[in-house]
Amino acid sequence: MNLREVLHVIGALLMWTAGAMLLPTVYAAGEGLFVPWMAASLGTAVLGLGLWRLTPREIRINPREGVAIVGLGWIAIVLAGAVPFIVTGTAPTVAGAVFESVSGFTTTGATIFPIIEDLPRSILLWRSISHWLGGMGIIVLGVAILPLLGMGGAQLFHAEAPGIPSDRLRPRIASTARLLWGVYALLTAMLAGLYLLLDMDVFEAVNHAMSCLATGGFSTRTASMGAFSAVTQWVTMLFMIVAGTNFTLHYRVLSGRLGAWVRDEEWRWYVGSMAVAWAMVFVALGVSRGGWGADAAREAMFNVTAVHTTTGFATADFGLWPAFAQVILLGLMFMGAMGGSTGGGFKSVRTGVVLKHVAGEIRKVLHPRAVVVTKLGGRAVRPEVLHNVLAFLALYVVTHGIGTLLLAAMGEDLVTALSASLAAMSSIGPGLGEVGPASHYGNLGSAAHLVLSLLMLLGRLEFYTLLVLVFPSTWASWGGTE
Amino acid sequence: MHVVVVGAGEVGYHVADRLVGLQHDVVVVDVEPRRLEYVANHLDVAVVEGSGTSMATLEEAGIQKAALLLAVTNVDEVNLVTCMSAREVEALTTVARVSNPTFYRDARNLRPAAFGVDVLINPERELALETVRLLKTTAATDVAVFAGGAVQLLGLMVAPGAPVAGRRLVDLAAEHGDRPILTVAVERDGATIVPRGDTEIRVGDHLFVATKAGEVATALELVGYQPATVRRVMVTGGSTEAYYLSHLLQQHRVQTTLLIEDRQRAQDLAEELDKVLVLHGDATDVELLELEGVGGADGFVALTEHDEINILSSLVAKRAGARQVITLVNKRDYIPLARHIGLDAAVSPRLSAANAILRHVRRGSVTRVATFEGSDAEAIAFTVSPASPIAGKSLAEAGIPAGAIVAAIVRGTEVVVPRGHDRIEVGDSVVVFTLPEAAQAVSEYFPA
Repeated sequence: MNLREVLHVIGALLMWTAGAMLLPTVYAAGEGLFVPWMAASLGTAVLGLGLWRLTPREIRINPREGVAIVGLGWIAIVLAGAVPFIVTGTAPTVAGAVFESVSGFTTTGATIFPIIEDLPRSILLWRSISHWLGGMGIIVLGVAILPLLGMGGAQLFHAEAPGIPSDRLRPRIASTARLLWGVYALLTAMLAGLYLLLDMDVFEAVNHAMSCLATGGFSTRTASMGAFSAVTQWVTMLFMIVAGTNFTLHYRVLSGRLGAWVRDEEWRWYVGSMAVAWAMVFVALGVSRGGWGADAAREAMFNVTAVHTTTGFATADFGLWPAFAQVILLGLMFMGAMGGSTGGGFKSVRTGVVLKHVAGEIRKVLHPRAVVVTKLGGRAVRPEVLHNVLAFLALYVVTHGIGTLLLAAMGEDLVTALSASLAAMSSIGPGLGEVGPASHYGNLGSAAHLVLSLLMLLGRLEFYTLLVLVFPSTWASWGGTE
Repeated sequence: MHVVVVGAGEVGYHVADRLVGLQHDVVVVDVEPRRLEYVANHLDVAVVEGSGTSMATLEEAGIQKAALLLAVTNVDEVNLVTCMSAREVEALTTVARVSNPTFYRDARNLRPAAFGVDVLINPERELALETVRLLKTTAATDVAVFAGGAVQLLGLMVAPGAPVAGRRLVDLAAEHGDRPILTVAVERDGATIVPRGDTEIRVGDHLFVATKAGEVATALELVGYQPATVRRVMVTGGSTEAYYLSHLLQQHRVQTTLLIEDRQRAQDLAEELDKVLVLHGDATDVELLELEGVGGADGFVALTEHDEINILSSLVAKRAGARQVITLVNKRDYIPLARHIGLDAAVSPRLSAANAILRHVRRGSVTRVATFEGSDAEAIAFTVSPASPIAGKSLAEAGIPAGAIVAAIVRGTEVVVPRGHDRIEVGDSVVVFTLPEAAQAVSEYFPA
């Protein structure tokens, strides 16, 4: 691998991050935090510029370099993103700052801060910006507007937004990335506008819009969406579903093909599983409380949607829900949103493919000579893709197991360890037990914060991009040109 | 009429043969000299060596004076380009054989006019449609439909214990006179006759019966079969015919199992056919057929490319207890054999293609023609013009020639399976069943 070329691009990414850090300084001055913010931004910029200047300008990105750029680039970005939490003195520990930054960029939305309203506005905005940049992918953004990444753009794109390859909107990957980011920005602006018309001020509207479209979950209120009106919650629910949908479909719909959503098989699964989960949780709540009002329906639908789309906003403490409803939430945490969305998790498309494959295997038991084809949207799923999905399932389960084990070793109870590691990998945010929606992640130790940070990164980059970094062969021909 | 046939394969040969029989001048074009030699030795036709896509070759074959161009090679694209080459020729009807399902999947794919094609024929799909009709009528050996399905001409074997066995037609008519069922032909000991009132029906006779769509069940019962619905069908072979049939069965919501020997073809068709269970295996693998429940199947259709495998697997299926067995047979000589060893019905791509083409060849008052496997008889639908000598007469007065019989009269939406006193009026559509010796005389009764 050509590490020098990789570092060149990472230098550019750090300068980007430094630029993004300038935005919160608008509020920093009034909060007496101007100096720390400028220091964080400048420090990152200088480091980035150094890497940029000291490495060759001619870059050629092969698949290996592409994966390394995304893997190492994300590590560099989340570390740089942690600096503001440290220098402004908001985060109690370095591990806590890293956790908050990773949680932001991976659109998890898990926080170490018990009282959100106590945080400076500059920090609140930075948390939302990190969500927004991480949602559609900061490197995809680079591919979209930085011509220098044009060469290996496809590799970068797929390493950061993996999943099952879907149709490109345009023959060129940079144009595709531009369209997706354009749709993303447009939807964010639409939601911010709606929030303004409802019950938010400009600051809250912008923050929540960025958080929602990124399926993040950071709020400017401790009570999260519970602090806002019922109408706001309904609007948020709608946009969470939108954010959890493949953005390629949104582009098609916006360009006039209104049937694009319904025609997509994965979208039908996604909406179908959402509706089933709504109904089951609503019934579970109704039975356990003996009440069936509109408020209960909203509570069930909002929180199910928040978990299914991997956003992680909350309007109620679902830690108090009956166990049946909580198990459904755990299932949704695992499954997550659609491929090609800003959401995380195992993804609807993979769940569907695995289930269809299982049905095919059962068919083969009944008919040993049957030629079974797993299909997606009327097309056969190629064996390589199927194997990739099955390996991904294994990785998901094993990683979740290891994460749970590590958190349990640190003294967390079973429900907390199980749900926290799952909520981190699937970029949900709140889990159950000690890390439920009424609580926060601040009480965990530094080791737990780092374990969860790693889980969040693995989940966001869908494992392979990070895991290849620990394989020696990735680093073969160090510094060479081959 | 001068006809140019491009393609001397199975379909081309057979169509040329039928056209010669209809007194047309036929020139056969093919790139393969050996095939041409065979055609020239067996049929009274002229041959031209060359590609139908070359205008020079077509001119050599007399395209300028031809009224009909039949492009029936087994390559769809060659057929289309052949018709395209000849699109400038005046007063020429062009027929292209196009089989690839991809062309038909989307209306935007194949616009015949753009290729200068007047008529598209798809013998493989015709065969699949015919097979579906056979499956629907459970016991029929042949099914030909007229007037959009309102008139059905069925070939039926008289089963042991059938109510009609050992009875004379005149007695049956007295008993079932109110039923619109007419026996138009009896095939016995290899000869086809148009029966008379005193003809006695025996077990094992092959009857051709004209009836209305609604009376098919009655006709089946009279020859000893119980009507039944088709729920589960097993198809063998990876042919285009097998694809079309499985596709149609899937549309009819029939539970379908498709057995294909070629691994890759099995994979491809499994991807195409959503609701069909595709198996990879040998069509003569008795254990596999039994494991997959061929015994309980309502239908078994053998559609591989090899007659021998089809006949063998059909026998296996019949022995295992499949209710109805339909066998694809290419070789003409095998057809009587297949019937003799107890197979229910035979279909042939050659015949399907010929039927599809001949329907468009006969002009004038002819609207539709059906031919039957293993017999030279034909059923022809005519439109009665004012010039017809029998217009306005009853059948008894008309004096239909011996060897022919009027099977049905269609007047608007009304269908009459006629008796002697029924009249033929101008504008009627008349279905006539005729033996070859009477064909010429019949056509004189129905001038354009």
